[in-house]
Amino acid sequence: MSTPSFLIRRVLQALAVVVIVTIVVFGLLHALPGGPARGILGPQATAQQIARFNHEQGLDKPLPVQYLYYLNQLLHGDLGTSYTLNAPVSRLIEERLPKTLVLTVLSALIGLLLAIPLGMWQAVRRNRPVDYVITTLSFIAYSTPVYFLGLILVLVFSQVLPWFPSQAPQGDSLADVFSEPRALVLPVVAGAASMVAVFSRYMRAATLENLSEDYVRTARAGGARSRAVLRKHVFRNSLTPVVAMLGYYVPVLFGGALVVEQLFNYPGMGLLFWSAAQASDYPVLLGCVLVIALATVVGTLLADIVQRVIDPRVKAGRA
Amino acid sequence: MTAHRKDTARPAEPILALDDLGVVFTTESAQVPAVRGVSLEVRPGETLALVGESGSGKSTVALAAMGLLPGNARVTGRAAVAGTDIVGADEAGLSRLRGRTVSMVFQEPATALDPLTRIGKQITEVIRNHHDVSAREAAARAVDLLRRVGIPEPERRAAAYPFQLSGGQRQRVVIAMAIANDPALLIADEPTTALDVTVQAEILDLLRRLAAETGTGVLLVTHNMGVVADFADRVAVMYQGRLVESGTVEDVLLRPTHDYTRRLLAAVPRLEVALPDDGAAANALTKPVPGTRTTEPPREKGRTPAAQEGTPVLALDDVSVVFGRGRRAVRALDGVSFLVRPGETLGLVGESGSGKSTAARVALGLITPNAGTVSLFGTDLAHSRARARRRLRAGIGVVLQDPVASLDARMTVGECVAEPLRVHRRELSARDRRGLVEDVLERVRLPRALARRAPGELSGGQRQRVSLARALVLEPRLLVADEPTSALDVSVQESVLEVITELQDELGFACLFVSHDLAVVQHFARRVAVLRGGRIEEQGPTGETLLHPETDYTRRLLAAAPVPDPVVQRARRTERLAALAAGRTEGGA
Repeated sequence: MSTPSFLIRRVLQALAVVVIVTIVVFGLLHALPGGPARGILGPQATAQQIARFNHEQGLDKPLPVQYLYYLNQLLHGDLGTSYTLNAPVSRLIEERLPKTLVLTVLSALIGLLLAIPLGMWQAVRRNRPVDYVITTLSFIAYSTPVYFLGLILVLVFSQVLPWFPSQAPQGDSLADVFSEPRALVLPVVAGAASMVAVFSRYMRAATLENLSEDYVRTARAGGARSRAVLRKHVFRNSLTPVVAMLGYYVPVLFGGALVVEQLFNYPGMGLLFWSAAQASDYPVLLGCVLVIALATVVGTLLADIVQRVIDPRVKAGRA
Repeated sequence: MTAHRKDTARPAEPILALDDLGVVFTTESAQVPAVRGVSLEVRPGETLALVGESGSGKSTVALAAMGLLPGNARVTGRAAVAGTDIVGADEAGLSRLRGRTVSMVFQEPATALDPLTRIGKQITEVIRNHHDVSAREAAARAVDLLRRVGIPEPERRAAAYPFQLSGGQRQRVVIAMAIANDPALLIADEPTTALDVTVQAEILDLLRRLAAETGTGVLLVTHNMGVVADFADRVAVMYQGRLVESGTVEDVLLRPTHDYTRRLLAAVPRLEVALPDDGAAANALTKPVPGTRTTEPPREKGRTPAAQEGTPVLALDDVSVVFGRGRRAVRALDGVSFLVRPGETLGLVGESGSGKSTAARVALGLITPNAGTVSLFGTDLAHSRARARRRLRAGIGVVLQDPVASLDARMTVGECVAEPLRVHRRELSARDRRGLVEDVLERVRLPRALARRAPGELSGGQRQRVSLARALVLEPRLLVADEPTSALDVSVQESVLEVITELQDELGFACLFVSHDLAVVQHFARRVAVLRGGRIEEQGPTGETLLHPETDYTRRLLAAAPVPDPVVQRARRTERLAALAAGRTEGGA
């Protein structure tokens, strides 16, 4: 498939996915018991006040009608207004998203930069002590919940050893986040840990598979040393499946940010989502989910494009 | 590089010398000896063919000579390349030799090249592993090499990825990599096994020309006696890890002394050919080697003419099959018509991509044709209800190529064979079913007790007989066999074909036999249809079509198939090359 027609098709697919996600989330949110009125107006509110609030917010209309209202707003670039924070959702996201992106992109980059060489090293040293040790550590890192890992990090590197602050710098702008770079270390490490664990496993498996391929034997028969074979052939071939996985990993990264931001009081999307969920702040929740869905779709699209660049067979529809 | 050539080209000194070579593989359960006490030599300019069946250790010898054995192999004895012992060499020493003094051509061109690296770059890598030249100069040499191995438009093709080339072209690239630094020794491990016969002939011509030009010694590992006859000066026969016989190609192929060699040669199906210019050679070919089956299949004699009449069991009429849509559409079959009459065997031959397997799938009802009609036992498949179609299908048995993949590894042999009964004869009790399964296992000459074993415990030949038992358990009127013996050794192939022949006499089923092996089809099929690019090139009685073909294509196909007689094969090769040259001048004029 040619690249333009591939892109058009994928963007249309992506739009369809995003629309379906909004329908599902909209339906699920409104299926929750209680509703937002009680949470916002407090336990003292009378049934009358609640009914009035519901009427003002259009919450007494049938669900499909509410959804169409929402969709209409969305098409006009309006994500609605937060029930609790008294601010447009778009401004809230505008403020918070860059900070979360800093956190997740840093975690992902550092995670990958560690995971890829680690996985290749393990594959080359398979079934030797080094491999077993790293495998064990990977499983520990992967099976430890992020909040638990975060707590340990805070305990060791902030309380016992006073190296890093345990709380992220507060503030509205991105510059505030970077005002104290040391404060980023623990959140980023907490986010990167599972990334290293998961992707070193992928890389190990992919490398092992490629090491047993015939072309490795051909390269060695041509006089290439093992290291050169790894660098020139095995690395690129092993990277393709890993890149494909990366696209699907975007929502996991956002999920991790939710916990990490809560833990380190980092003022990003995760924290926004967390407090909105507790207050049944529907417009904010929907806005956050929409952003995450978009990010996921864009992530997989980017992964597909990168794959087309690395592997010419994908473009030709042969792989 | 020519200086290097002269150093090693002194005729007396062997370029490869194996002395009491032994290889043992350590597996989880045991020490498996693969090669035992093998001694042989290859001299500059000569080709030694190492032959034997699967598991004989011939490929292990080749890999040992390259120092490319896997980590669980323990090597004893001596393997010297140009005087340097490979056995004790370290990685640095080995990588200095590999690709420069000794290089290798592999069996599977589909996987031998890095799929993500352009072919020109893969060739330059081999050059720059050994020569300190600029990337640009190496690239220029790579283009030269591509031209030498006969890749058209080498400047443009150097930028292609392996998937953009055909199997034959990929093998040419692998050869270009192997000869990039003018090695003194070329090891070719089944270099043409994955290729069509016409491509095989071209690749062998290429290797022969390159070896002659540079005086390179060649160690050719193959199971194909035709290739041996075509290419080798000397032959060494391996059996169960040992060398059992070696000598000149004429001695070993025409006057074998060892019992195993005789049996091996006897099992090779021989293509009967008509050589108009050289009657003596043709006679030499048809003269049976001791133990060879006669050229006339015995079952043809017992067949009454009546068995050939009646409604055809299978009839394809003007069938077309198109895969894909739009610009990418591929016409796999184009107006194909043929009949299979009760009790007869029709051979479908052709090269890869000719549509022969597609035709078999259409016959099985697995592919609905885009145009044309398919009748099974006189009923049009397109105009029958699903249930009736299912009943019709119970009358077809099928045997496929891959003996490993075509049996479910999680089922016992008995369950595999019983499966068609469970689908089509649900009224049977478990006991009756078991009885039928054991009967049919006995028919294909397998012990009844095998029913409780897993397919994984069986050899390839046994597995193909289990497939055959499964195909025959419903007593079909038509057997569709798609390359049923292509994955088997010749001796095993012979016994499987014998079983099919005997059962066909006994049970009277018709057979659609798909194969790329002209000699097998000639012995096995009564009539033959030659497919090319989705069309039927010609069809007729096997004796006529394969002996006196009407079309150029069939003639070329036959001429390209090497016969396992070095004297005849030499004459055939000369004739084929002369015909090619004549064709070329005609085309050029």
